[in-house]
Amino acid sequence: MLNCIDNSGASLVECVMVVGQKKHASIGDRIVAVVQKQRNAQAAGMSGLSAATKVKRGDIRHAVVVRTKQKVQRRDGSVVRFDDNACVLINKAGDPVGTRVNGIVGQELRLKKWSKILSMAPMQA
Amino acid sequence: MNAAPLARQPLGCLKAGLRQARQQRLFRRQLATATTKKPAAASRSRTGPGLGPLPEPNFYKIQDPKTGKIRTAFAVYNPPSVIKDAHSSNIKPKPVTEFVDGKPVFRLPWTNRNTTMPKVLTAPVTDPLPALHAAQIERLDPTGARTAMFAKTKQGVRAGDILTVTHRRGGEPFSGVCLSIRRAGIDTAILLRNHLSKVGVEMWFKIYNRNVAGIELVKRRLKRARRARLTFMRQSKHDMGSVSEIVHDWRASRKVFTSGSAEKKKKAAAAAAAATAAARAKSGAGKKR
Repeated sequence: MLNCIDNSGASLVECVMVVGQKKHASIGDRIVAVVQKQRNAQAAGMSGLSAATKVKRGDIRHAVVVRTKQKVQRRDGSVVRFDDNACVLINKAGDPVGTRVNGIVGQELRLKKWSKILSMAPMQA
Repeated sequence: MNAAPLARQPLGCLKAGLRQARQQRLFRRQLATATTKKPAAASRSRTGPGLGPLPEPNFYKIQDPKTGKIRTAFAVYNPPSVIKDAHSSNIKPKPVTEFVDGKPVFRLPWTNRNTTMPKVLTAPVTDPLPALHAAQIERLDPTGARTAMFAKTKQGVRAGDILTVTHRRGGEPFSGVCLSIRRAGIDTAILLRNHLSKVGVEMWFKIYNRNVAGIELVKRRLKRARRARLTFMRQSKHDMGSVSEIVHDWRASRKVFTSGSAEKKKKAAAAAAAATAAARAKSGAGKKR
């Protein structure tokens, strides 16, 4: 279970698979996720087809992990750890589904070439 | 030497200042000997509690086959022979009964005329690892500022203080509450915690890392923390939240003392210059006409 921090409409997703490897996913890894909870569902229902309801509960989407509670060590010996696990939904081509990312993302995304998500994020640590 | 921290301390703690001066005098004395004699050997012969001169290492280089540049190198320190000898001499010899001229004589085995005393070297036993750590710290922190900052002294940083770490690579400096200090020689690291965009972020920094351009003490904890590791501050009940406001205020207050006053001085100087220029012009005009 991860938080989804973009404006695609999902707020909580469940990881069902890590794409391309048999280990756990870390920051910058691609996963397949099922949308479990929609962001402010009643408001979305009122407005109908707004930008905030691109995905629905039960949808299976690809996502990129942007924050982990597990420590991630960098090349220079510093270590970063966030208080939650979070991801950003993407489509199969690798472009983000939402148009905005609210919240800090890990700097490891740069190494793994997710520059689009990095440029959308307000901060990186 | 390193007089800056002394100046930064409040005037009240004269005792602490004097103590530091005493320490620095000792340090200076060592440095003086280091400069007068051969510096290469002196840099490795860092003295301290339990630290002797570092033994000569064997260097191994790994060269790039294409360019011929040294990719990496490492040194292997053999355990000094002193230790072995000391160990072997730890076994206490039993007294031997000998008969000299028909009389029994008790004596220790090495008191025999033919055998010499076993080698017990009086040189200090040097463990290579602490000596290596000391040498590396001296290389990465030549002024001793970082060591002094995180020393276990009254002036040193403790868990609970708010720190700011600046990177050499740029990017925003990371500030946060120091949750713990992991003291491990050259690997000494600090754990900072902060809230960035409402998400808790924790970062470990190696204090002797060259990428860490600066570590600054923003605010001390009001009351001394009674734990060495404040991991309970991760719980929402004890969490401090974001320290960015405190850091912002600190930055602003620092500007008053530095750049702000400099600007004022500049303005004052400019005004004074303008006044003198005007006076000169007046006097010049008076002389001319």
